[in-house]
Amino acid sequence: MRLLIVEDDADLSRQLKSAFKDAGYAVDVAKDGEEGHFLGDTEPYDAVILDLGLPLIDGVSVLQKWRADGKSFPVLILTARDQWSEKVAGFDAGADDYLTKPFHVEELMARLRALMRRAAGHTTDTIELGDLMVDNRAARAFVDGMAIKLTSHEFRLLSYMAAHKGRVISRTELVEHIYDQDFDRDSNTIEVFVGRLRKKIGTDRIETVRGLGYRLLDPDSEAAE
Amino acid sequence: MSRRSPPSLVSSLIRAALLWAVPGLILVTVALGLVSKNSSYRGFEEPLEASVLGLIASVEVTQDGTLRLSRDLPEPKYQRALSGQYWLIGRVEAGNEIAPILASRSLYGASLEVSQETIRALSMQEQEPVRFTTAGPDIDANEMLRVVARQVILPEMTSPVIVLSARDVRPIQREIRNFILTAIALMSALTLGLIFAVYAQVRLGLRPLFDLGRRIADVREGRAVTVEGDYPLEIAPLATELNSLIAHNKKIVDRAQTHVGNLAHALKTPIAVLRNEAEAADTTDSAIVSKQTNTMAAQVDHHLRRARAAARGQAIGVRAEMDPIIDGMVRTLPRIYREKDLTIERTGEEGLIFRGHPRDLEDMIGNLMDNAAKWTSSRIDLDVFTVEDGLCTVIIADDGPGLTAEEIETAMKRGARLDEATPGSGLGLSIVKDLADAYKGSLDFSRSDSGGLKAILRLPIAVQIDEQRGLSG
Repeated sequence: MRLLIVEDDADLSRQLKSAFKDAGYAVDVAKDGEEGHFLGDTEPYDAVILDLGLPLIDGVSVLQKWRADGKSFPVLILTARDQWSEKVAGFDAGADDYLTKPFHVEELMARLRALMRRAAGHTTDTIELGDLMVDNRAARAFVDGMAIKLTSHEFRLLSYMAAHKGRVISRTELVEHIYDQDFDRDSNTIEVFVGRLRKKIGTDRIETVRGLGYRLLDPDSEAAE
Repeated sequence: MSRRSPPSLVSSLIRAALLWAVPGLILVTVALGLVSKNSSYRGFEEPLEASVLGLIASVEVTQDGTLRLSRDLPEPKYQRALSGQYWLIGRVEAGNEIAPILASRSLYGASLEVSQETIRALSMQEQEPVRFTTAGPDIDANEMLRVVARQVILPEMTSPVIVLSARDVRPIQREIRNFILTAIALMSALTLGLIFAVYAQVRLGLRPLFDLGRRIADVREGRAVTVEGDYPLEIAPLATELNSLIAHNKKIVDRAQTHVGNLAHALKTPIAVLRNEAEAADTTDSAIVSKQTNTMAAQVDHHLRRARAAARGQAIGVRAEMDPIIDGMVRTLPRIYREKDLTIERTGEEGLIFRGHPRDLEDMIGNLMDNAAKWTSSRIDLDVFTVEDGLCTVIIADDGPGLTAEEIETAMKRGARLDEATPGSGLGLSIVKDLADAYKGSLDFSRSDSGGLKAILRLPIAVQIDEQRGLSG
């Protein structure tokens, strides 16, 4: 899963990036409204954390522009502004959630996970595919109840594919959602990650659809078919 | 010690006008009376003087030493007994009476009393006539005579004689009295008219000031935003200055709000950074830092809200439409509490205007609705209605577990929270109560129909100025 954090305070931005990276997310940061708007406009994020009091363009305007351009990713506003009118304006501009500073990182993560879960149509933080279970809250995966050891990139890959289980996902889409902006992106490395993941969770769980991409099989829906 | 109420400008101006007008009018009345009296007496005495001169010219001394008139005076009243008009030529004898030598028939043999001073004056003023008043011969009628007399020594006589002419003075005295009474009546009417005219003039002159007072009250009570209207040259600068003052006051409040906002941003982000850093470190020191930053966060939140409320409390002429604020909350709360599938039913009046700052209304309605949303299972009922002129009630009821009387008391205490697990600073309800009190409104709680909590908020509302004018017009 790939996040965008638009926050002008360098320390807070660094903390959030670090916390979300540790939790298994690919994270990009923008320090002002202009950069934030550009990144949100050009990169396919799974969620955005947006400050309101930003240099160059304020957060509400950035959000309004994204929504006007048809960007539908979930946006959580993270701001020191706690007036009801500001909350109303934030939600009216298209925000999905609103959290005021100071805040607990756990609460922010829980809310963001809830947003992404809702966007993907899930109801809990854990996604089960037969005996494979992906716990987004703990950033861990289990096969048959046994925890498997995954690198952060492997977890992101598994988490994204689990969130879109049963759907064919192109390599490009995977690249866009598991790497952050600063990472040296090479779509061939996706093959390497998929190979490693297959070894850890079982080779028959990820199907290669030639010319299109990969698909994480959902045993429940396969059985239903 | 009770303070004296300030003097009324109207009564002061009227008092000042009457202070010179009433004595002036009295003086004029007295002067008119005197002038009229003098003039009447002069007119009255001139024919008497002519008669005296006529008598002197007509009187002759006969060979036997007696006196006679060579011709009668033309006035017929001298011929009729006790007619009120008399002449007499005589000598002063012992006592105060003049012994007649010759007299008009009208005197009917009577004499006239003369005072010692008059006799002295007659002997001293030979050339000038002496004027005096004395009782007439018609005692029954209380006759009073005005007399013009001269003392002359006739040719061929050695001792002087007194020649006088007299006439009943009462008719002229009546005329003078009538004139004075008429003058007093007219002057009294004039004084009353003057009082009314001064009052009307003062009211008319001060009308722009009264109007200005009403406009200022409109601003104060939230019915208008600025002091409007066309004022005379003398008052226009006052209205302009008042508007500048109101604008300046608003600017100061807005600036204070901006500063508070900036301060909030400036403090809350570093607190968030500190707190996150401390929580990530997971050491004993970091636990202390974490605890202290939590306290700091709560304190900053509390004092920033107070500062905002204090800054807003000073502003005059502010008001807020209630509908946009309520609609915003109705729109936003279901998004904040998505998991509850919230239904907010709004009933009651629309178009009401809160007599206060929009942010305060937001804080009150927002915190109460947010509290209801936190505790409700899925439904909130919101009702807004006018209870009396200038006061409205907002009822926010939920279908949650409700509160006991003790819990309500606890909730009203500053910073108290009933359930630590439910998100929130715990300042919401106490702030609503403080704000409602500051606006002379109230906040009460009771049990809703569905067993949840019912918050009853009473707030001052502005009577629409157009509506008010419509009513008065």
